Amino acid sequence: MTGPLPFPARDLLEVRGLQKLYPVSRRGMFRRHRIGEIRAVDDISFSVARGQTLGLVGESGCGKSTTARAILHLIDASGGEVRLGGQDLLQTLRGPDRKAELAMRRRVQYVFQDPYLSLNPRWTIAQTLSEPLRVHDLLPRPAWRDRVIELLDLVGLEPHHADRYPHEFSGGQRQRVGIARALAVDPELLILDEPVSSLDVSVRAQILNLLARLQAELGLTYLFISHDLSSVRFLSTRVAVMYLGKIVEIADVDRLFEAPRHPYSRALLSAIPVPDPDRPSARNTLLGEIPSAMNMPAACRFHTRCPRASAVCKAHEPPMEPGPQGSALACHHPLEPPAP
Amino acid sequence: MLVTQFIIRRLVFSIFLLFGVSVIVFALVNAVGNPIEILLAERPGISQQAIDQMTAYYGLDQPATTRYLMWAGNLLQGDFGTSIIYNQPVWQMMTSWGLETLKIQVPGILIALALATAMAVTAAMRQYSRVDFGVMASAMLGQSLPGFFVGILLILIFSYWLGIFPSYGAYSMRSPLWGSHLLDALWHMVLPVAMLTFFNTAALTLLMRSNLVDILRHDFVTAARASGLPERRIIYGHALRNALIPVLTYLSLLFGLMLGTAPVTETVFTWPGVGYLYINAIQQLDYPVILGVTMAIAVMLVVVTLLTDIAYVLIDPRIRLD
Ligand SMILES: Nc1ncnc2c1ncn2[C@@H]1O[C@H](COP(=O)(O)OP(=O)(O)OP(=O)(O)O)[C@@H](O)[C@H]1O
Ligand code: SF4
Ligand SMILES: [Mg+2]
Repeated sequence: MTGPLPFPARDLLEVRGLQKLYPVSRRGMFRRHRIGEIRAVDDISFSVARGQTLGLVGESGCGKSTTARAILHLIDASGGEVRLGGQDLLQTLRGPDRKAELAMRRRVQYVFQDPYLSLNPRWTIAQTLSEPLRVHDLLPRPAWRDRVIELLDLVGLEPHHADRYPHEFSGGQRQRVGIARALAVDPELLILDEPVSSLDVSVRAQILNLLARLQAELGLTYLFISHDLSSVRFLSTRVAVMYLGKIVEIADVDRLFEAPRHPYSRALLSAIPVPDPDRPSARNTLLGEIPSAMNMPAACRFHTRCPRASAVCKAHEPPMEPGPQGSALACHHPLEPPAP
Repeated sequence: MLVTQFIIRRLVFSIFLLFGVSVIVFALVNAVGNPIEILLAERPGISQQAIDQMTAYYGLDQPATTRYLMWAGNLLQGDFGTSIIYNQPVWQMMTSWGLETLKIQVPGILIALALATAMAVTAAMRQYSRVDFGVMASAMLGQSLPGFFVGILLILIFSYWLGIFPSYGAYSMRSPLWGSHLLDALWHMVLPVAMLTFFNTAALTLLMRSNLVDILRHDFVTAARASGLPERRIIYGHALRNALIPVLTYLSLLFGLMLGTAPVTETVFTWPGVGYLYINAIQQLDYPVILGVTMAIAVMLVVVTLLTDIAYVLIDPRIRLD
């Protein structure tokens, strides 16, 4: 990067007010009628410091993948701003400057949940790993092979794997290939969308170790999406909890796991339901179904399932309030902060 | 399993298949009765002696099994027999008329493939847009119109009203158009090829568009997008090749069934191809021709299926040979 940054201690990734709405329309006799919208990601903000990992957790359908894809402009965000090292990422990816777009794409890479679906079944691993080199014109063609071997080595695969096809690999090996592809362009930030969710528990640990090692060796920054809490705890520096398109709490990983302050975080993180000290009869299991994204509860979205919900929760949406050590929280009646 | 082993297995299977087909076809044609009697019965002047003579000449006085063995034996030696009506070797007729069939069918399939690819890509890139809707609607309409109808419509517009293209035949009866045999032949091909292209394009477009849309949803396409590959290159580099696999089956069927679909086109345009020959042979009970063409259709289908299976194995690394 060139020139001094306006804020020296800026976080590498900054997301402000990111929003993705899907219009819901019904085809009438003559034209489509817009009958509502799905607020898949609704005005979320967070940041990730260089070299750190932000874990993004939440139930299925809460908008984690939508967030990830909107950041990479794989889907067009409805609103908000994403900055990478201070540069406007979304604006760059929207074009029209193709050179700048490619340069930006090199800095942020994506790792997919299902490594089988994310590899072209008719391409060898070498072909898959060479593609980014070709797209970004990084190396002369004769040097691709060496780079492929180097990448395979980086993720713990053997040179002879280069000429195999995805179906000849186990799930864990395929995910290693997926990670190698992301690393091919020397990115700064990896967006990991449930990279271990489709893997066996034993393999999961290997991939998580690999990710931790790569982060340390290459100084990578991660946005780590998962609903597997033990992986989140293992890999994350900070954690953001998402519910129905909103981030409800962000905190350092240990603080969040030991003393969550948002009732939803508490419910999500407690493996064993813990009695609520303030309301002895209420247990912190999640009550009821997740509301449909079409019929979002008004005000606090969690009030239909929240054991602490009151009249104010149904009338006013709790704002996101910053707290100590870069934490943030959106709740009218948060749980007690941990004793200092 | 090795590819050669796989091919040998399929070949053996194909031989049994063709044997079965030949028995069935022979039995069916045989069930119609003695063609000489049927044909000559309409001409009262012909003596019984002449009928017997011809019956003996064509071996029709022998029992059916003997005749089958004779026919099959000759077939194996490449002898398809002699047409009763034209008194020409069936093989020779099939090759010369078959060439005329290929002349319109092959361009009809290849042009359709190119058109369908372009249309399907355009539609799939703008899924659910007006363009997509338009392409889909016209392809569906094209597929639902009956074949002869489009042919007759083409003749009506371009021959009858506009007088641009000839409505029948593969060549001009008298002197060739513009004094060039090549131009004359090409000019005659236009309408039949247009009709075939029309149908093949409609079916291929629908098939390819749905395959493309399906594949574009895959994560490896998103991965290509995330790596910055332009949409056009994603379609041609990743999606199209994957989308072409099911199309290959359909294409092979088109080629294999060429002789089966040819009769309609060739009747509409009075085109001197195998389809026309076949229809005439059936009408006139020219049984050596019926048998010959039917066996040729069967052989083509078997060969094309075999080639397709081999192509699959070569294209798709995931297909296991067991
Ligand atoms: N193309 C789309 N059109 C309409 N709604 C969509 C679309 N894509 C996603 N959604 C909706 O947006 C919401 C968020 O989806 P998203 O895939 O981001 O969830 P997720 O948190 O990644 O879930 P999971 O854990 O299952 O992967 C869901 O309610 C989903 O139905
Ligand atoms: S604002 Fe109210 S309803 Fe929402 S989480 Fe907090 S206590 Fe529960
Ligand atoms: Mg997801």
